[in-house]
Amino acid sequence: MKRLFALTVLLLSAVATAQEVRLPDYERVVLDNGVVLLLAEKHEVPLVGLQAVVRGGTAADPTERAGMASLLAALLEKGAGDRDAASFAEAAAAVGGHISTDAETESIMVIADFLSRDAELMIELVADMLLRPTLSEDEFLKEQQRAIALLQAAKGSNPRALIGSYGRAFLFGDHPYGNPPYGSEASLAQITHEELVQHYANHFGGDRLIVSVVGDFDIAAMRTRLTDAFGKWGPAGSPLTPVETIGPLSGRRVLLVDKPGSAQSYFLIGNISVAIDYPQRAELQLANTLFGGRFTSTLMTALRTEGGLTYHASSSVSRHSAAGSMFIHSYTQTATTVEALDLAIEKLGELHRRGVDEDMLASARNYIMGQFPPTLEPASSLANLFAFLEANGLDRSYIDAYGAALDAATPVTVHNAVSEVYPLVDDLVIILIGDAAAIRESMTKYGPVTEVSITEPRFRVYQ
Amino acid sequence: MSLFSELRRRNVIKVALLYAVASWLVVWIIDHLVDGVGLSPWVSDYMLLLLAIGFPVALIFAWVYEFTPTGLQKAADVDQTQSIVYKTGQKLNAALAVLAVLGVAAVIGEQLLPEFTPPPRETLEEFPLKPVFDVSASAEVPREITSFKLPNGLKVIVWPDHDIPNVALYYFVRAGARNEYPGITGIAHFFEHMMFNGTTSRDQGDFDREMEAAGGANNAYTSKDVTVYMDWFPKSALETVLELEGDRLANLAIDPDVVETERGAVVSERREGVDDSHAGLLHEQMYANAYLAHPYQNPVIGWPSDIANWTQDDLENFYRRFYAPNNITMVFAGDVTPEEIYLLTDQYLSSLKRQHPPEAVTITEPPQRGERRFAIEAADAQTPLLHVAFHAGATSDPETLLLDLLLAIIAEGDSSRLHRALVEEEGLAIRVSGRQSDGFDSGLAYFALTLAPGADIAVAETRLREELGRVVADGVTPSELAKARNLRLAAFWRGLQTINGKASALGNFEVFTGDYENLFAVPARLSAITAEELQAVAAKVFRDDNMTVGILSAPAPETSE
Repeated sequence: MKRLFALTVLLLSAVATAQEVRLPDYERVVLDNGVVLLLAEKHEVPLVGLQAVVRGGTAADPTERAGMASLLAALLEKGAGDRDAASFAEAAAAVGGHISTDAETESIMVIADFLSRDAELMIELVADMLLRPTLSEDEFLKEQQRAIALLQAAKGSNPRALIGSYGRAFLFGDHPYGNPPYGSEASLAQITHEELVQHYANHFGGDRLIVSVVGDFDIAAMRTRLTDAFGKWGPAGSPLTPVETIGPLSGRRVLLVDKPGSAQSYFLIGNISVAIDYPQRAELQLANTLFGGRFTSTLMTALRTEGGLTYHASSSVSRHSAAGSMFIHSYTQTATTVEALDLAIEKLGELHRRGVDEDMLASARNYIMGQFPPTLEPASSLANLFAFLEANGLDRSYIDAYGAALDAATPVTVHNAVSEVYPLVDDLVIILIGDAAAIRESMTKYGPVTEVSITEPRFRVYQ
Repeated sequence: MSLFSELRRRNVIKVALLYAVASWLVVWIIDHLVDGVGLSPWVSDYMLLLLAIGFPVALIFAWVYEFTPTGLQKAADVDQTQSIVYKTGQKLNAALAVLAVLGVAAVIGEQLLPEFTPPPRETLEEFPLKPVFDVSASAEVPREITSFKLPNGLKVIVWPDHDIPNVALYYFVRAGARNEYPGITGIAHFFEHMMFNGTTSRDQGDFDREMEAAGGANNAYTSKDVTVYMDWFPKSALETVLELEGDRLANLAIDPDVVETERGAVVSERREGVDDSHAGLLHEQMYANAYLAHPYQNPVIGWPSDIANWTQDDLENFYRRFYAPNNITMVFAGDVTPEEIYLLTDQYLSSLKRQHPPEAVTITEPPQRGERRFAIEAADAQTPLLHVAFHAGATSDPETLLLDLLLAIIAEGDSSRLHRALVEEEGLAIRVSGRQSDGFDSGLAYFALTLAPGADIAVAETRLREELGRVVADGVTPSELAKARNLRLAAFWRGLQTINGKASALGNFEVFTGDYENLFAVPARLSAITAEELQAVAAKVFRDDNMTVGILSAPAPETSE
C-alpha cells in the first residue's frame, strides 16, 4: 500500500513537471541614443540584479597595450560622479550592495546586486561609473601597480590561473583575441594615464550599452528610472571595429613556460575553433559534454578515474564574434607529463575516429537539460543571460528552441560537428607551464618547442 | 557414571540449549528495537555481555541444584530415588519447543510481514550543540519546511520550492580532519573521493554515469569538521538519486586497486593546492603552528606520508564508524513534497544500520601562551605573503557572529579598514582578506595579506597590528556597524534565492548550531548587535599572546661587499 502510494505520487509529479526549458518573459526597450534596456520582474527575494555591458572588451585593447580594458574596468570603481574611490566603495557596502567589474573578450561589464530597497542607489552608482568615472591619475597609477603585482603573485601562488593568458597569446598571436585578458607586466607598464582616458572616450557611450535588470521591482518605474539615467548618454568616440576572422593553425607547435622546481606540469592542448554564430550549437555542447564537460567525460575518465594522473581534466570551446578556441585543460606531476599529454591527444584522436553513440547522446542530452534550470534561478544570472543574448545578436529562440535542437541531434550530426569544432591531432598547439629542466627534452616529439621563463614580464612570445 | 551421562541426567545440556535459544530470541528482539524505535545500540551490546556472563552461571546452577517436590535443593543432597529430574527435563523440553517455535515464527514473520515502520520520532541527539541564537518570536521560519528522523537516526529536512523543476540535495556526514589523528590524516577527504568509486553492485564510475545520464550532477567537499555530498538534479531523477545514495551509503566497495589510483588523484590535488601554491603552503603551516593539541592542526587533504600509507583496514573502519545514518543530516530543497521524500528515504535509506556514535572529540586547544612566529623562504616569491591568525570561537559560540561582523568591517571589500589603509593609502599590500574558520570547535580569525613587491614586511605587520589595536581601543563607528549588518543581511537573502543556497544554509545551521530554524533568526539577531559587543570581542581575540604570524618571502639577496 505504502509503495503504491509512493508510485502514484511519483507519477503525478513527473507529469506536473515535464516541461520544456523556456526563457522567462522579459521586456526589451531601445532608447533613442541606442541604449538597450532588458527588464524582468522576479519577486521571491528582496533583491535586484543588474548587468551593464559595454561592447568592446579586451579585443579592443590598442596594440602593445594589452590590459587596457581590464585596467579601465577596475578604475570605474575608483571614484565616479561626486564620490572619490573611498566614498564610492563605502556607498555600496553601506547598504550591503555588491558592485564588480570585469573585462571580457568583447565587452566590459558592470555587475551589481543590491537589496531591492536600495535599487535607486544602485542605478545612481552604476550610471556614475559608466557616464562619469573620475579616472584620476593617482588612482590610475595605484591600480596599474597593483595589476602588475597581482600577476606576479599568481606566478607564485596560482600558475594554473595564468595558463589561459599564455594560451590565447600563443594561439592567436597578434590577432586581437591573443590579448591576455589582464594584460602582462610589460604591457600594463606601458599604458599611460592619458591613453586610458582616451580609450574611455573612444569606447564608452550609449551606442555600446546594454543594461539588463531583473528582480523585485515594478517594471514601469524601473524603465523610467533607467531611461533617466542612461537615455541622454552620447555615442562612443569611435565606432566599434568588427574583429577579423581567423582560421585554425596547421601543424603542431609547443610553448614551454619554465617554472623551475614546479611540482606539476599545467597544460592546454587545442586550436582556433568556431565562432558564436556556429549553427550546430546543440551538437557542439553535446560533444563537449561527453568529451570533457562533466565528471564522466572521456578526458576525466581516462586521465583521472582510470589513469590517476590528475585531479582535473576538461575541455572547453569559447566562442566569440569572429572565431573561438578549443582547449583541453589538465595538469599532472612533472614525472608523468608525457603520459598525460599522450593520453589526452589519443582521446582527441578517438573522438574524431569513433564519434558518439545513441546512448551517450541520450545521457548528454539529459544532463544538459537537467542542469539548465538552476542557471535561471538568481536574478543576477537571469540578467546576465538576457545581456549575453543581446550582446551577441541572439534572440530568445537561442534558449527556447534549444531543447528541440538537442532532441534532433544524432550521432551523425554530432560527428560532423566534432570534425568542425575539434582540431585534428596533427594540428595542435600545446602550452605547458612546468619544470623545463625535467621535461624540455621530451617535449620535442610534439613539435617545435618555444621556451620562455615564467618570470618574463609578457605572455606573447614572438617566434 | 560418565560425566556426560551425569550432565544429561541433571538436565544441564537441556538448560544450555534452552539458554541459547532464549538468548537468541532476546537479542533478536532487542536488535529490532534498536533499528525500529531508535533504542541505543549500546543496549544490544550490554545485553549480549550479560547473556554471555549468565551462560556459565546457568550451567553451574543446573549442575549444582535440582528441583524437587519440596523445592530447590543441592543435587548432591537429593535422594536419587526421589529425583524428579526427568519431569523437569520434560518441562525443559516443552519450553525449548515453545521458544524454538516462537523463533521460527519470528524469522518467517519478518520475511512475510510488511516492514515494521513506526512513525518517525525524535531520538536522543548524539551531537548536542548549544543553539547559537535564541529563536525569537521575530524569526519567521517558512511554514513549508519540515523535518523528520528515520528510525535509524537519519535526520531529514525538506524545503519545498517549486519555482524550477529541480532539486538540490545536501547531506552532511559528521566526519572531517577533526576526527583524524597521526597516521590517518586526510582520510576523511580521501573517503570523500572513495564514495564515488563503486559499490558491491556498481563498478567504479557507474554512480556518476547513472546520475549524469538521469540529468543530475554532483560534487562533495571535506572540511575540518564535516564531509558534505551535494547532488543537483531534475525532479525526474529523484528516485534514481536516492537509490544511488542509498547504495553507496550501504554497500560501498573499497577496492584496493581503486584505492591506489585514487591516491594518485589526491596527491595531484595536494601538489596543486600546497606544493605549487605559496598561499596554500603558508595556510597549511599556519594551522600546524597555531594549534598545539587540537586536530585542526592537520590539513584536510592530509600530510603526504599519511596519504601514502593509510590501509584498507583504516578505510573500512572509517566507513563503518562515520558513514552511519545516525551520523548524517540530509537536506532536500526544490521541487519535492515532504510526503514523497519521507516515502523515498524510508524506501532507500531506512535499511542503513545505526552504529555507535563516533568517539567524541573532547580535546580543547589550550589557551595560547605567547605570540608564535614562523617564516618560509621561497626563491620565486615576487610578492611576499603575511598571514596572521588569532584563536577565536566555535560556530555555536554567540560571539562568532560578532566576530564575523568585526572581520567584515576590518577586512572585507574595498571600503574595509585594512584595504583602505594598507592597499589604497599606503601601498603596502595588493590584497587583504579576513575570515573566520569556525566549526564544531574553536577556530581561527585569519588575516591573509598579499604584500606589494618589495614592500617592507615588518612595516606591513606593524600597520596591521596598529589597525587591530585601534579597533580594540576605540571600537567601530555606528556606520561601520550598519554596513556590516547590511552586508550580512544581503548575503542572507542572496543565499536564499536558489534551491542550492537553501539546502546549504539549512544544512549548515542544523549541523553547526543544532537547529536549522536558527537560520531564520539571523536578521533579528543582526539588528540587535551593538558596537560595544564588537569592541569587547575585539579585545578578547586580538591579543599578542593569542597571535600566530606566518611570513613567506624570497630569501634576502646576497650582498657583495
